[in-house]
Amino acid sequence: MSYIEAANSLSLYLIVGAILLFIALLCVLFIVKSYRAGIRIGMDKKVLRRAITSSATFTVLPSVSILLGVIALSGSLGIPASWLRLSVIGNLQYEATVAEIAANSMGLSLNSSSLNVSALSTILLVMTVGIIWGCLLSIFTMKKYSSKLAIGKKSNSSGGGYASWAMVAMMIGLCSTFVGSYIAEAFVNVNLVPVVTVVIASLFMALFEMLSKKYKVFENFSLALSMLLAMIGAVIVSMFI
Amino acid sequence: MEKEVFDYSKYTDSVHRMGRIGLSIGALMLLSAPFLFAYFLDAEIDWNGFLSAIWSVLIVYVPSCIVEYLIYVPLLGPGASYLSFITGNITNLKLPCAANAREIAEAEVGSKENEIISTLSVATSSLVTMVVIFIGVLLLIPLTPVLENPVLRPAFDNVLPALFGALGYQYFRKSLRLTVLPLSFMTLICIIVPSLMGQTSIMIIACGAISIGLSWIFWKKHILK
Repeated sequence: MSYIEAANSLSLYLIVGAILLFIALLCVLFIVKSYRAGIRIGMDKKVLRRAITSSATFTVLPSVSILLGVIALSGSLGIPASWLRLSVIGNLQYEATVAEIAANSMGLSLNSSSLNVSALSTILLVMTVGIIWGCLLSIFTMKKYSSKLAIGKKSNSSGGGYASWAMVAMMIGLCSTFVGSYIAEAFVNVNLVPVVTVVIASLFMALFEMLSKKYKVFENFSLALSMLLAMIGAVIVSMFI
Repeated sequence: MEKEVFDYSKYTDSVHRMGRIGLSIGALMLLSAPFLFAYFLDAEIDWNGFLSAIWSVLIVYVPSCIVEYLIYVPLLGPGASYLSFITGNITNLKLPCAANAREIAEAEVGSKENEIISTLSVATSSLVTMVVIFIGVLLLIPLTPVLENPVLRPAFDNVLPALFGALGYQYFRKSLRLTVLPLSFMTLICIIVPSLMGQTSIMIIACGAISIGLSWIFWKKHILK
């Protein structure tokens, strides 16, 4: 059996399937629990359902991008290992970097002709141990940490105070990091596609926000639609730039 | 009547209990996966390779895991945080997704409503990602040429610019005063040191610190209300 056949063997699919099934079950339990609690504290069912619908539509396109990461990594690590790593803790940037570090530390490179099954298990262990710390911190300190923050101690009508601005500021910091890097890329690498995509997405977002005041249906889909149209814009712009 | 009877602190306790048990089992399963792979493939872990690799990984990623934990828990609340720290893709998916749901539901940070909406949002997002990847894995052979088609490639290479363009519009316009400094800082520093363009996970901490610091000063001076 070749390395790539072994890395794609049925037993590995079953291991990964069992782990992901458990995590999916945990998500379902959290949905049921929080949905019921929402109703019990007097939240409108429509608001709760809208949170679910908008999150689902929002997630589809980035998930296809994550799927591309699975395809990219599956050439060297096989489908089951890539599927597992990109469905749980971490992200493509982390997984690809750490897999490369782990392969290099064994004197190998991240391609199927160089790797073997021992290297695959070792790389998977490095990837898991390297990123598990947020999960361990949650297990051991979340209760104490979140109680100090007094999360969930006030009601929606009590006014946001500084906490709301802290959230806005964090999101501005997050968006500035990415948007700033795309502007810089336009100057440094003369790659205009990302920054043009940013502009297209923000223009469509402005349009859909205007429309959502009149047509409520746009409220749930404005972000997903803006992203989709901006991605189509990126394809068109790439043909000319 | 029902609203008055409901004890929210009991709900919070049960979220912590479920989160801790769920994440403990999940973490054990994840840590056991490499050993199960080795067992079924009749292979052995290369401990020398593991030890030489893990130090360089831990030096970089443990501090960022701790900082992410400290920053994201106050924003997401415990339920959503438990799920985020087992399902990953926090910066590029879970956090924007929960923020979007919060905006739509008009829930305030730190409120019970925000905690519930964030949990619903992150749990749904995690499930959808798993389903999309599962379908993708099932259809991997027919889908690969479509997804890797050079004509469509720019669309998938620009998911994050599309996401942060749309999201940026929503947040930048809330306060242009808060936006100017972190955005200019990131742009200029990446032009001066181009390698930082690929270090967004580290730069988020710097830009986040600038904008949170500014927001605190503006809040104290009653510029933000």
